Amino acid sequence: MAQTVFAPWDDPQQKPLIQFVGVTKRFGDFVAIDDLTQDIYEREFFALLGPSGCGKTTMMRMLAGFEAPTEGSILLSGQDIAGVPPNKRAVNMMFQSYALFPHLTVWDNIAFGLRRSDMPKDAIAARVEEMLKLTRLSKFGRRKPHQISGGQRQRVALARSLAKAPKLLLLDEPLGALDKKLRQDTQFELMDIQETTGTTFVIVTHDQEEAMTVASRVAVMDEGRIIQVATPEKIYEAPNSVYVADFIGDVNILEGTAKANGPESYAIDWGGAEPATATSARPFSDGQKAHLAIRPEKIAISAERPADAANAVQGKVLDIAYLGNLSTYHVELPTGQVIKAQSANTRRVSRRAYTWEDPVWLSWSATAGVLLES
Amino acid sequence: MTKTMLSTVAALAVIASSAMAEEVRVYNWSDYIDESLLTKFEEETGIDLIYDVFDSNEVLETKMLAGSSGYDVVVPSGTFLQRQISAGAFQKLDKSKLPNLENMWDVINDRVGKYDPGNEYAINYMWGTTGIGVNVDKVKEVLGEDAPVDSLALIFDPANMEKLSACGVHFLDAPAEIIPAALNYIGENPDAQDAETIEKAEPVLTAIAPYVQKFHSSEYINALANGDICVAVGWSGDILQARDRAAEADNGVTIEYHAPKEGALMWFDNMAIPVDAPNPDGAHKFLNFIMDAQNMAAASNYVYYANGNLASQEFLVEDVIGDTAIYPDAETLENLYTTSPYDAKTQRVVTRLWTKVKSGT
Amino acid sequence: MRRAVLIAVPYLWLLALFLVPFAIVFKVSLSDTALAIPPYTPTLKDGFSALISGLDFENFVFLTQDDLYWKAYVSSLQIAFVSTIVTLLVGYPMAYGMARAPEEWRPTLMMLVILPFWTSFLIRVYAWVGILSTEGFLNQFLLWTGIIDTPLTILNTNWAVYIGIVYTYLPFMILPIYAALERLDESLIEAAEDLGCSRMQAFWLVTIPLSRNGIVAGCFLVFIPALGEFVIPSLLGGSGTLMIGKVLFEEFFANRDWPVASAVAVILLLILIIPIILFQRNEQRQQEAEQ
Repeated sequence: MAQTVFAPWDDPQQKPLIQFVGVTKRFGDFVAIDDLTQDIYEREFFALLGPSGCGKTTMMRMLAGFEAPTEGSILLSGQDIAGVPPNKRAVNMMFQSYALFPHLTVWDNIAFGLRRSDMPKDAIAARVEEMLKLTRLSKFGRRKPHQISGGQRQRVALARSLAKAPKLLLLDEPLGALDKKLRQDTQFELMDIQETTGTTFVIVTHDQEEAMTVASRVAVMDEGRIIQVATPEKIYEAPNSVYVADFIGDVNILEGTAKANGPESYAIDWGGAEPATATSARPFSDGQKAHLAIRPEKIAISAERPADAANAVQGKVLDIAYLGNLSTYHVELPTGQVIKAQSANTRRVSRRAYTWEDPVWLSWSATAGVLLES
Repeated sequence: MTKTMLSTVAALAVIASSAMAEEVRVYNWSDYIDESLLTKFEEETGIDLIYDVFDSNEVLETKMLAGSSGYDVVVPSGTFLQRQISAGAFQKLDKSKLPNLENMWDVINDRVGKYDPGNEYAINYMWGTTGIGVNVDKVKEVLGEDAPVDSLALIFDPANMEKLSACGVHFLDAPAEIIPAALNYIGENPDAQDAETIEKAEPVLTAIAPYVQKFHSSEYINALANGDICVAVGWSGDILQARDRAAEADNGVTIEYHAPKEGALMWFDNMAIPVDAPNPDGAHKFLNFIMDAQNMAAASNYVYYANGNLASQEFLVEDVIGDTAIYPDAETLENLYTTSPYDAKTQRVVTRLWTKVKSGT
Repeated sequence: MRRAVLIAVPYLWLLALFLVPFAIVFKVSLSDTALAIPPYTPTLKDGFSALISGLDFENFVFLTQDDLYWKAYVSSLQIAFVSTIVTLLVGYPMAYGMARAPEEWRPTLMMLVILPFWTSFLIRVYAWVGILSTEGFLNQFLLWTGIIDTPLTILNTNWAVYIGIVYTYLPFMILPIYAALERLDESLIEAAEDLGCSRMQAFWLVTIPLSRNGIVAGCFLVFIPALGEFVIPSLLGGSGTLMIGKVLFEEFFANRDWPVASAVAVILLLILIIPIILFQRNEQRQQEAEQ
């Protein structure tokens, strides 16, 4: 049985669930969202990623109905939702602070939204029980929010926002208040729930790891614009800009000028002893300024110069960050630039072939890096 | 060390000097003296005068009966004086310290003797009548030219009161003065002491109470002077003060005072020294100062009340001595009645009746 | 040792400022009136055994024999109740407005609420005399605008008493409600709207329940003093305004009957104990909830 890849954004037949069309949002002189156009598809787990103030929260609040766009329109299933107040939208939100009602029990918190609809009483009860079960909270229905743990509160908030079976669920930094271990567990739980319910999720986060883990697509934002939208792999492997490359994970940037030296292959004169070779589908003219972005784990480190490497430079180990499974080596090049290289600790540390101050060779293939325009 | 000592010495000095300065504390009715007399007393005697005021005998009496009021001279009215004397609230006057006693008027001394036999405990300060103050133009506008402004019928006939309520009527909040007046109006003895007679005043008062805007013992002076009300049942001097204030303000309000022709209550405010007065010696000095003919005249000239000081009469201005509203002629004087204090049981009947009149409960 | 002292302080405070005065008043309420200083008997001067044997509940029995007293209690309760409700209706929107105002305005608004306390209470009540009297500012203004052609009689009526009480105790209502509303997380309201509430529903289902403690505290802080209020009804009220504070004054001053006055006061205190205990409970529950 062939696994079909979930990629509605590549299918022109698919109708997007949400469409931002030329949306601009201004608060006084401050432009929070700058002429933004973006589609989000049904059953997507869409992450808005960016530093604080990049506009991601504003986008989410416009979807929830707490803010209205200054210009442009937002369509939900093809309908402009400009004038629709939050309580009339088939959109629910899970708040960063969870916003659980402290005067109501867990059960009543989850039932809160259902009671605002014309659902019969026993149907409400059934739905609440279902939600409690889904979020493994069945034992806590009678408790008040202040009587349960942070992780449980997070699940109550999720259950409450899912109870009305919204077309779209918005999650505002949903895991920010949890400690790291719990956060990782919860990320998988979120994905499970998203798959089980088939709801479209839009998550706002500043944590790139979280975005990468949960999302089907990640939108990296900066200053009110989306810089790149792609699957986590593409964002990581093929960032479209230095900003994205730098924002997602660790990266080494070599800055220089490009010169074609073959089909889709360029020599980058970055100031080292010899130019680096890199392939790129994106064309560069001779002498054009370019940035070569290489992830640390794509750079090999060795005591001797490897014979068949497309690129190799010599340097001196400045620092070693031991992370258990991996070590990151900070290697200083003769040019003064520091390059990070990562290698798996398959051997015991004491048997390591090189240590501080040792001269080492760094090498990478022609396809290891991504060549970016400046 | 020296600094601490200096400040300690300084502090002690302040305490010492304040303890050394002689003080007399006087508790008198509000608006009841020419205030320049207070400075004059301080200048003449070197005693610091602390002057507080009250506006009801009841407040004074409560202080007296609670004891340790801290006052050296207080000014109760006749019936209250009598009761407080029997409660042991006052000390006998040391007449050797009061040479000005010879200035007093025997006629008034005799009448005050009803409350303080032999004038052992108090000297009369002022006396007056309880009567009717009218805003002449307004009353005539409401009741016509022949309005009975000098009769109790003006205030006790519901027909008149109903009309007057449109322009505002205030009554003293003093049951011991209004109930006797009501009894007098229906031909009963105003000095009745038995509950049965006293209760006859109730229907008279209940009938007119709805038309009384307020029962209060001091607000009517301003209200009358400003033209806020057109009739006030009040004390003679207060109403005359209102008359003068209105004249000074030149606001088109003309006030007259009338002691009702059916008879009016004559009352006496008397100065006495509490039994626990901190400075009885100073208190005597103050009484003697007040009994000085010129001082007493100054006070009367200021407040428009008659006093019990015969010698002061030659210093009284014509406005005062010549005004029958203040110094009534012999005929009116005969028509004035006095009252005696109620005992505790009767007092309760009086208060209860008064509450019923005022609140309907 | 230090613990014992710490615990002792509030109890001594309570003893000195409440229990001892109350015991004295209670003792006086069991005495008989007398023409003496002090005006009741027996006193400690008569010896302890004579003192004890001289006490009885006569005065309390007396209070049941005249309908004046219970009518005054009922009327006071009614005036206090109505004033509390009106104060709540006026105070809540003000507190709400303050809590929703931009952060930088709040200290100023708070200041404006507290500012009247800088002036004597008596002067402020007197100021209302000037505003409400027949010739007062309010009537002059209304006459000038042509809304009325004859001056309204407000002063010396129960209306003036209500105005006086509401005005005087408004800050006591606003401050606890403001404190509760200011703590209220704005996202709770958004959450309620997000879950299908209209603005109004969110207000009733979230804002009101969550400011409940402030409302309860404010209501008690207004109700309790309003019940025994004396100054406002005597300055602004008419002769028909029947309140227990005035009855107490009459007993004390006009009748010189300290024992009956004390009995009236003891009953007033007993009436107040119920709301005071409820108030305490509310405070306690709030503290527990916050822990």
